[in-house]
Amino acid sequence: MGRPDLNRRQLLGGLGGLFVASSFGFAALGTGADALASDADTRVRYWNLFSGGDGSNMIAMLDAFREANPDIAVKDSTLQWGSPFYTKLAMAAAGNRAPDLGVMHLGRVTGFAPGRLLDPWDVGLLAKYGVREQDYNPTLWKRGVIDGKLYALPLDIHVQLCFYRKDVLKKAGLLGDDGRIVPVTSTDEWFDVLKEAKRATKKGLQTIGMWNADQNFQWWFFVAFYTQLGGTWFNAADTEVTFDTDKAVQVLRFLRRHVTDGYSDPGFGGLASAEQFINGSPFVWEGNWSVPVYSGAKLDYGATPLPPVFGKQATHAESHAFVLPHQSDRGGAANEAAHRLAAYVVQHARQWAAGGHIPAYTPTLSTAAYKKLDPQSEYVSAMDHQATEPKVWFAGSTGILAQRVGPLVVSSTMGSAKPETAADRMKRALTQLLATKNPMDGKTAAEGGAV
Amino acid sequence: MATSAHTLAAPARARTAAGSATLRRKQGFQHGGWFVAPFLLLFAVFVIWPLLRGVYLSFTDANITGEGASFVGLDNYREALDDPLVWDSLGHSAYFTLLVVPCITVLAFLLAMLAHHIERGKWLWRLCFFAPFLLPSTVAANLWQWLFNPGTGMIDHVFGLQTPWLTDKSYAMLAIVITTLWWTVGFSFLLYLAALQGIPDHLYEAARLDGANAWHRTVHITLPMLRTITGLVIALQVLASLQIFDQAVVMMDFLPGPEGSTRTFVQYTLEEGFTSYRVGYASAISVIFFVIIAAVALARMWLLRNVKETTR
Repeated sequence: MGRPDLNRRQLLGGLGGLFVASSFGFAALGTGADALASDADTRVRYWNLFSGGDGSNMIAMLDAFREANPDIAVKDSTLQWGSPFYTKLAMAAAGNRAPDLGVMHLGRVTGFAPGRLLDPWDVGLLAKYGVREQDYNPTLWKRGVIDGKLYALPLDIHVQLCFYRKDVLKKAGLLGDDGRIVPVTSTDEWFDVLKEAKRATKKGLQTIGMWNADQNFQWWFFVAFYTQLGGTWFNAADTEVTFDTDKAVQVLRFLRRHVTDGYSDPGFGGLASAEQFINGSPFVWEGNWSVPVYSGAKLDYGATPLPPVFGKQATHAESHAFVLPHQSDRGGAANEAAHRLAAYVVQHARQWAAGGHIPAYTPTLSTAAYKKLDPQSEYVSAMDHQATEPKVWFAGSTGILAQRVGPLVVSSTMGSAKPETAADRMKRALTQLLATKNPMDGKTAAEGGAV
Repeated sequence: MATSAHTLAAPARARTAAGSATLRRKQGFQHGGWFVAPFLLLFAVFVIWPLLRGVYLSFTDANITGEGASFVGLDNYREALDDPLVWDSLGHSAYFTLLVVPCITVLAFLLAMLAHHIERGKWLWRLCFFAPFLLPSTVAANLWQWLFNPGTGMIDHVFGLQTPWLTDKSYAMLAIVITTLWWTVGFSFLLYLAALQGIPDHLYEAARLDGANAWHRTVHITLPMLRTITGLVIALQVLASLQIFDQAVVMMDFLPGPEGSTRTFVQYTLEEGFTSYRVGYASAISVIFFVIIAAVALARMWLLRNVKETTR
């Protein structure tokens, strides 16, 4: 039996082998070229999730670091924000292919298996490069500490703000002598302000945009006002839900009233909230990341923390923080360079403030340059009045807590559930989450969460 | 004698026939086997193995890192049956299917009739109806996100409305259904068009001679002749619609929609697996989903068999 196709097979096999070999060759070439690109001794791989304006601010800060530290090559990668980022970071850390430095939302750190997926910071090394605990707001610093070790070094806080149009408020007589909105200390005062503002608002525009239909924003607003009322979530041991449905109902009614009194139009409950503000709507509640958008649109506007309508200052705050993804052989030059890079960026975060975020390194806040930033300097007090999610494994930006409870807040604000019903459901969801085991270590929040 | 010889010879012939068949089969495998081997390999690596692995994981408390999983028996399944979000999201997927399938079937048929009977510019109609199907889901979803923009979007603009299409739970699913109709009707349309062209002309001719008008011809010839293809269209659409995922998440900016009203089953699985990192639990609910889909597919086969028997 002749085998006329044998040669062809050998040929195909040979070609295949060549292809595989050459792709390895190219891969090797790739890493080689990477290393050759700079003659630095140490290389720091750094993963972040910043795109858009934040992305270019971060790159500018990295470039400044590169210039100041030519012996360190920073290899930064920007990944897509949200769940995919955390998934990749977790898998890389578990597979021991983690970068030397990463960024996370502070609220997610507790659920990210500190000690297993994250390595603790060397506080001494940070101090050597100029960053110490006393440079931070104590509450903020402590949020990064788990079991006595620092796992997250905050770069900023980002807060929910009440943006207002100065041109409209002036017409309504709601601007003080300092050119800022008159202070508000109760719900009645707040609705009086809205009433006056509504009269001065152009037809076809709503008075306030508050993302009624957005589960994230509504949840953040809820956290802010619930904290103003002194509400709590769980007891200290995380064994019991202490969520106060009466207080929750108060907050939910307050949010809902914006819709029923005709100040906020559910039809503009999404991104249209921001568009309406640009078109002349007097108020929008939103994250500080919209500062560059409104400044870019050359609006005459100001921004304060969410009004203390329940008598106490508090606005929702999350935080971008540097973390050290777990490497089994962490240490040495790359690790030290990661500390140096993080410390540098934290201390040189004025560029970062252009994106609206409040730098976490407090000495920055008292510089003359920062005080000149408008409206950043108007809401800087938010640093001292942070309303945050509870410190449990299921909390944090785009985390499971917001995904479960956020829609319930929306259901009340949009009117499809009574505030009382929504509050009961929130409590039930919190109870269920507290009983759920953290998939990272099979323990509930009470059993020690993630450590 | 002749008969016995005949009867004796027959099994022998049969034996040789069987022998050559096995031989052919053997040879067939030697040649054909190698041709399908690459496919089988990929199929095994990317379909069979993950499937088995998923079933295995559903009995563990595995997390996303793949470390430290332990066997938990039926715990995940027990939890899933008690989890209101499982039923909720399953309900959303089913609701979507109920809305989409009849609409798409009727619409595809009507469009096919239109394109089949229209005399001028046939190619243009075919192209128009089919073209959206060629778009990637993300493009279609983004496009309609713009069209549905309250106040400023084209739909509200044209009809003088101000409807919170994507932000109110009473409209959100409807918006996804409309998008899906526009995007995928072309596929079923094409199936119908091909089937229409396959109906022999002489049937219509004979009917016409017997005095049947256009309505009678449609009801008594076209529809019965399209029965098989309608069964296929419905079956394919049911299976595809139950797995609704991409257009919904893109239109809702990767959130579960207003008050969670467009969280589909696939999306919930993804949330559990990749937001909560509960891979074991996510595997369990996808196994449940797999069983449901398989049941639907089997039910379809069983129904079709009955249809065949009655038509025989």
